[in-house]
Amino acid sequence: MSTRETGTAAIDFDAPPVDFARLHHDRVAKLRGAMQANGVDSLVLLGQSNVVYATGARAPAADSSLAAHRRMVAIVEAGDASPHLYTSFPDGVPGDLPVDHVHDGLLVETDAGAAELVVRWPRGRVALDEYTMPLLRALDGREVLDATAVTSAAKIVKTADEIALIRTAELLNEAAMRDVEPLVQPGVHATELSGRFLRRIFELGATANTVDPIFQLMPHSIDDGPYSATGDLVFPTVTRDVVLQRGDVVWVDTGINYHGYASDFGRTWIVGQEPTARQRDQFARWREVITRVSDVVRPGASAADLVRAAGEVYGRRPWPAHLYLGHGIGTDSAEMPLVGTDLGLDFDETLVLAAGMIVVLEPIAWEDGHGGFRAEEILAVTDDGCEPLTHYHYWPFETS
Amino acid sequence: MTNEHLQRCLDEMARDDVDVLVLGREANARYVSGATRLWLAGTRPFGPGCVVVRSTGAVHLLSGTDDLVPLPRDRLFPMSWSPGNIVRALTAIPGVADAHRIAVDSLTPGFDGLLRDALPDARLVDGSDLVARVRRFKTADDVVAIRDAVAVAEHALSCALGSLRPGVRERDLVGAFVEASSEQGVTTPAFDPVFSVVVDGSARAFATARTVAAGDLVDATVGVLAHGWEGRLARTWVCGEPGDAQRDAWRAWTNQRDRIVPLVRPGTRVGDLQCGDGVEIRGVGTGDELLDDDVTLAPGIVVAVSIRHAGVHVEDTLLVTETGYERLTTFPYGPLADATS
Repeated sequence: MSTRETGTAAIDFDAPPVDFARLHHDRVAKLRGAMQANGVDSLVLLGQSNVVYATGARAPAADSSLAAHRRMVAIVEAGDASPHLYTSFPDGVPGDLPVDHVHDGLLVETDAGAAELVVRWPRGRVALDEYTMPLLRALDGREVLDATAVTSAAKIVKTADEIALIRTAELLNEAAMRDVEPLVQPGVHATELSGRFLRRIFELGATANTVDPIFQLMPHSIDDGPYSATGDLVFPTVTRDVVLQRGDVVWVDTGINYHGYASDFGRTWIVGQEPTARQRDQFARWREVITRVSDVVRPGASAADLVRAAGEVYGRRPWPAHLYLGHGIGTDSAEMPLVGTDLGLDFDETLVLAAGMIVVLEPIAWEDGHGGFRAEEILAVTDDGCEPLTHYHYWPFETS
Repeated sequence: MTNEHLQRCLDEMARDDVDVLVLGREANARYVSGATRLWLAGTRPFGPGCVVVRSTGAVHLLSGTDDLVPLPRDRLFPMSWSPGNIVRALTAIPGVADAHRIAVDSLTPGFDGLLRDALPDARLVDGSDLVARVRRFKTADDVVAIRDAVAVAEHALSCALGSLRPGVRERDLVGAFVEASSEQGVTTPAFDPVFSVVVDGSARAFATARTVAAGDLVDATVGVLAHGWEGRLARTWVCGEPGDAQRDAWRAWTNQRDRIVPLVRPGTRVGDLQCGDGVEIRGVGTGDELLDDDVTLAPGIVVAVSIRHAGVHVEDTLLVTETGYERLTTFPYGPLADATS
């Protein structure tokens, strides 16, 4: 069944709550606006999340090498309201793309395909997101700009349609998790949790799975866990076929794709027993971070304001040094705005929130020697604050 | 297995006069390092995630831990959000700063500029062909790993087809497949499985909510990534008993197969094999391998041979041997074959 009860509203995941023609039009308009602002005449896009953003097209989800070898290509030009799409997957072409803008796939991982793309190369100042080596060769020293500034600028603020898709992606992820949670018992394999999760997302109508589901059994201290090159907490690690034991603390992190948009789900589960008083304290401190940060999330706040609001928990910054307090989400599972990275506080000062941006907060409350709590909360920045897009409960700390 | 991969890689680097090989493609990094890092779907822009230095013979990997990474700890360099920091970590690797020729397997305009600025005396060259050549020829251990991966996919397919009955939706079959794969400890796909009702002789590229009816042909195209190795296959199954037209289709398909598959032997160009409509040849390994038309088959190459004909789609994985091929796929051809045998 594709309909799930979530609170008072029933969600039909087969009826995405958006106008796709409007979504596609708005995204190309944002790209063209960012092109103009950056002095770019044309964009050539090979990164699949960029092609999805520019065209709304779909290719089958795959391991990175197969995805690269079958990649779609998009060309966006300043003077054209529609992008050109090169794809080997006619089933994935959106109906609102003019037929004269849809072309057979170009194998840009081969010399022949790369040469064909260069024949179609737009005039003027062209920005590209990534090369294949055959493409680099075929361009033969031609000047190419970096498309990152344009794509980041266009993507960072979401339209209402985009936010609706992220909200629905998250609801689908959560619906699948409701069916995984009862499996969390002593004796169950971590990969069985993955199996139930993957099965449910496809049954419910997910477009793809985007990350090997993470069910990491957490140590009590950093030193008890896997070797850490940074000295800080190691997370995430690859899920192994381990058997859950009573008292295990499981950090859960999953993400799916729904009509081009990513979800991001994070929770902490405890196997077969109630949380201890100490674990409840960890949860309470984590929640205080979320409350403190959410209170400052509004248009005009900088990423540095969020970092300062997060403060310290158990005498340390509440996220691992190699990760972040929060990140954006869209056609990529982690994108700008990145908050609290090793780009540093100076960078965070320059990153100013605006209505329509999304911040996925993922702090940890880590009490070394006694483990910790981690979960994720997605916030959409509104005109005067923020709206949560995560609605999942905090079992076994709270169930409602 | 890893040491042999690395040695082959170092030999090719010597042949191509490459001092340092910088790999952004995960399948290439998997191959030379033997590491399992977190699996993510889809393409990723280039980042220097794995570095092979010829003078030291060392592999260095972007990873915060040695969990599932069979390398000494001093060969790990940490993750950073700052491309500048990553390039600084790269240039600090022994043997990189004084390299003359640095090969990359892909690139972005951003890293192109950063690498040229950080290593002004080095020439950046194409390393994608070098790694492709190395990966193309499988060791005996590689073949075992591929066979094991195919077996995982076969078992999961068998479970999924066990729930093929009138009323099941295409995507329920996808769900059954991924769950059965996970129950074998394999939670990463080579690609999202596709179960598609064949309509007017063709299947779709994506599974949908369409319900399978009695008598429908269903194209099942599935693949897993088991311990870093691809195992993939395709079968066309009938829901119930095959009809006359379906039996004819199967006969037509077998005729096509009998034209194509015997050509899988040393000396055949991939282009000559792929000339038939609906024939697709892909290299199988630590991820998909692109085989240009001008690649000549030789012993040790493993190919997935996909033949679509008359509405029937079957794909098997074949190891090229000295005299022909050995089929690594063991899955039966199902009701269509049974009804016409």
